Amino acid sequence: MKKLIFISIVSMLMVVLVFSGSKKKYGKELSLKETTKISEIVSHPEKFDGKRVLVQGPIVDVCKMRGCWIKIGGDKEFESIRFKVEDGVIIFPLDLKGKSAVAEGIVSVKKYSVEELIKSGEEHAKKEGTTFDASSVKEPKIVLQINGEGARVDSK
Amino acid sequence: MTQFKWRRWNIVLHRDIGYLSVALVIIYGISGLAVNHMADWNPNFDRRKEIVSIEPIESTEKDTIIARAIKQLRLSSLPENYFRPDPETAQLFYPGTTYSIDLPTGNVLIESNNRRMVLFEMNQLHLNAPKGLWTYIADIFALSLIFMGISGLFILKGKNGLMGRGKWFVMVGSAIPILYWIWYQYLQ
Repeated sequence: MKKLIFISIVSMLMVVLVFSGSKKKYGKELSLKETTKISEIVSHPEKFDGKRVLVQGPIVDVCKMRGCWIKIGGDKEFESIRFKVEDGVIIFPLDLKGKSAVAEGIVSVKKYSVEELIKSGEEHAKKEGTTFDASSVKEPKIVLQINGEGARVDSK
Repeated sequence: MTQFKWRRWNIVLHRDIGYLSVALVIIYGISGLAVNHMADWNPNFDRRKEIVSIEPIESTEKDTIIARAIKQLRLSSLPENYFRPDPETAQLFYPGTTYSIDLPTGNVLIESNNRRMVLFEMNQLHLNAPKGLWTYIADIFALSLIFMGISGLFILKGKNGLMGRGKWFVMVGSAIPILYWIWYQYLQ
């Protein structure tokens, strides 16, 4: 009996080691093969609104509270896109920051009024423990994000 | 026909399912304490921030920025990734550490996120981050907890059993969540 338990535990460990690849899987399987450049989505958001896309790039930020979003850096400088998942459905650990990701989801484009942006900025600052200057919001803004379904992240 | 000895079976199952569940009870208990206080601390990562100063970097070329940053910050290897969030900032990503360089001033924000050993893994399991097979293991564990709670009521007979002083403890234990919820929902 003791031998059987020992062999079972060792076998389980070996299976885990054999099947753990260099890419960590988060959420659903990726269904798309071809990636879309983030710069294309950022340049023409209306063209991609509601469309399923596969993007890739470095993870340049991660939600610090619940791991419910990552920000993926674009192929062009100064561009990134938020990849948002439902709370608890996927949890991105903070130390994914800096890793390379391939992620799939549906592009969402929303227009926010000045009042909505101030409210959201204040809430975000409260969550992150930072400050927010409401006077910095001058005009309505289009917020672009990918409603995420699945991602693969280099785990090396 | 022999009589089915349910109380004996109840004790045996309560004992053996308890043995099987004890590791998960401890994991979920410790993680529960940790994530209950998420507003006050990060239960998964030890997060540190530090600001250091280097010489301003005037170049806009990726390779030059990286080379100068590595030299001045005395880093031993190339970064895993590099990103420019805005024209004045360059970010160098190393495992667990991000260097955000304000190029015109040379101020560097060093942010490190180190996993809290064991606690990170416990929290991931508790919050069912792995999904897949773990969902079913966690379901079985949840059912085991329900079974152990109910079977525990029927282990003892007599004055210390459910019909004795046990019923008062059960009533107090049941009243705590009900009364708290009434206060939370309607009275506060």
